[in-house]
Amino acid sequence: MSHRRSTRREFLAAAAVTLGSLALPRPALAKGSVTAAMYPGTWEEAFRAHVTPALKAAHDVDLEMTPLFAVDQIAKAQASRGAPPFDAFVLDPGPRVTGIERGLFEKFDGKRLGNLARLPTGMTDEYGVTVAAQVVGIGYNPKKLPKPKSWTDLLKDPWVSRLGMTGFQTTYGTVSIIEIAKQFGGSETNVEPFFVEIKKVLPKVAAIGAPASMPALFQQGQCDITYTNTQTVATLRGRDVDIEFVKPESGAVAFFTTMHIARGSRESENAYKYFDTVISAPVQSALMQPPNNFIPVNREVKLAANLPMASLDEMAKFVKHDWSKINPLRAGWIERFNKEVAK
Amino acid sequence: MTRESEWQLALPLALAYAAFFLVPLGLLIAVSAFGDDRITTLDGAQWRKFLGDPFTWKVIVDTVKLGGLTVAATSLIGYPLALVYLGAGPRWQRVILFVVILPLLTSVVVRTFAWIVILGREGVINQAVLWLGLAPAPLRLLQTEHGLVIALTQIEMPIMLLPLLSVMSRLDPNLRDASAGLGASKWRTLVRVTLPLSLPGLVAGCMLVFASATTAFISQFVIGGNRLVYLPLIIWQQSLVVYNWPLASVAALTLLVSVGLGVAAIAAVGRRGRAYAL
Repeated sequence: MSHRRSTRREFLAAAAVTLGSLALPRPALAKGSVTAAMYPGTWEEAFRAHVTPALKAAHDVDLEMTPLFAVDQIAKAQASRGAPPFDAFVLDPGPRVTGIERGLFEKFDGKRLGNLARLPTGMTDEYGVTVAAQVVGIGYNPKKLPKPKSWTDLLKDPWVSRLGMTGFQTTYGTVSIIEIAKQFGGSETNVEPFFVEIKKVLPKVAAIGAPASMPALFQQGQCDITYTNTQTVATLRGRDVDIEFVKPESGAVAFFTTMHIARGSRESENAYKYFDTVISAPVQSALMQPPNNFIPVNREVKLAANLPMASLDEMAKFVKHDWSKINPLRAGWIERFNKEVAK
Repeated sequence: MTRESEWQLALPLALAYAAFFLVPLGLLIAVSAFGDDRITTLDGAQWRKFLGDPFTWKVIVDTVKLGGLTVAATSLIGYPLALVYLGAGPRWQRVILFVVILPLLTSVVVRTFAWIVILGREGVINQAVLWLGLAPAPLRLLQTEHGLVIALTQIEMPIMLLPLLSVMSRLDPNLRDASAGLGASKWRTLVRVTLPLSLPGLVAGCMLVFASATTAFISQFVIGGNRLVYLPLIIWQQSLVVYNWPLASVAALTLLVSVGLGVAAIAAVGRRGRAYAL
């Protein structure tokens, strides 16, 4: 019996030591830190390589990243109700509008950014700052298909039988489908013509995939043409995949990626420093280089030759969308897409 | 410790279950009762909308069917392998066990993406089919139900085999010898002795595979794409893309009930099979 009791004591002691070590304070951080939600993959890797050291050097602030897609950031922030799991968002326009509507951001003052004057006008508002642009058009394999000219070519032979599609779950998928719908008489708020046209060719379409699997499907030759952004095209080219970016006749689509401070964050000072570092010319320039392939927003950065525009001002001519009109309709479109394309 | 107080040993697990399973489940049920995505009106509208839509029922049937097909495929391929295990010596038994566990050591995401390479238009299977002249053009395997069942069969095979092998390894070899000694053929011994005795393992494997295959969101979405719609895809779309949590909760509870009924059905078939065999 005494033997048994002593093992129990030992066990309890060991457990106490284990739990105690978990409660030890973490090593003190330099001048503070900021926790930023970050898109997994290319973004996270590029930020680790360029933003983390730059922020440390300029402001002595540590950057901690939580890998989350835009929609996941909104869902997490909303679920945490006032105690955000991170200090800074990085978002596409659709989730940005949702974040504004649901009051997830602190009020933002662009004047506190030292690099503000180097951005084109209109890149900040009371909600956040624009840190990168995305340009969406058509990516195709020039070895397997002739060059497509317009969005409507996607639904015609020979392209349609090699077409890879995604639905309304992503920003680039949604804007591409809207553009296809427009060519058939639809609009930003009316994608009905797309559904009518896609139904005619649905059995021919090569792949209707999960957004995350599209690069793999293209790389494996499951599809040879798809709507996509310049960053994905550049990344695939970097892996020796045969892919070219085409601006459709009606114009490529541009949208901006923005950063925001989470409501209730205690690190808003450091968040401003973080944003200011991200939009600084050296960091923007580094993010533009392969394998990162970002589209910069800082005027002082000389644009790379493979980008679909010669200057940032050209982006004003690209097609833009009003996500405050799109968001309320999106749930219905996703449901409709499920029903139309599911076998 | 007295026998009466032994239940206290289960207390930590019970508390963890209550905190991390029962409370969230209660929340899920509560949220599902709201009618709007801002969670303000309590009218059960999402339940009516979801269950009143014929498309939902097609998705439920497809989800359960996917589980059924995967269970059928894993048992048809897994059971003979378990018999090989039964007849093998201790060294080969260890080799088989290692090979069975091996896939569990890699992430399901990696295994799923590997299946894109295998099932793709220019993948291994299609190259072999074209080279052998079995088809004039590449077969469409990705984004089809049979392609998904092939992939899930490989992905879920370990959880079918582990309970099956553990039961098999405890079977008394004397029983089979006795059966043979009494003049039963190998087939009769299999059907009347080995199968009934290994049935608990097979049933446990079937239940695990069914529950896992019907809820395997990553594999379903990456291999099935948007052409195959199952309940986990709807839960993801509603919770993370359009933030309609009441509808996502309704879909999650529907999945829970569907999987629960499927597992109960497998258990019932197992009990009847055992009664019949004995």
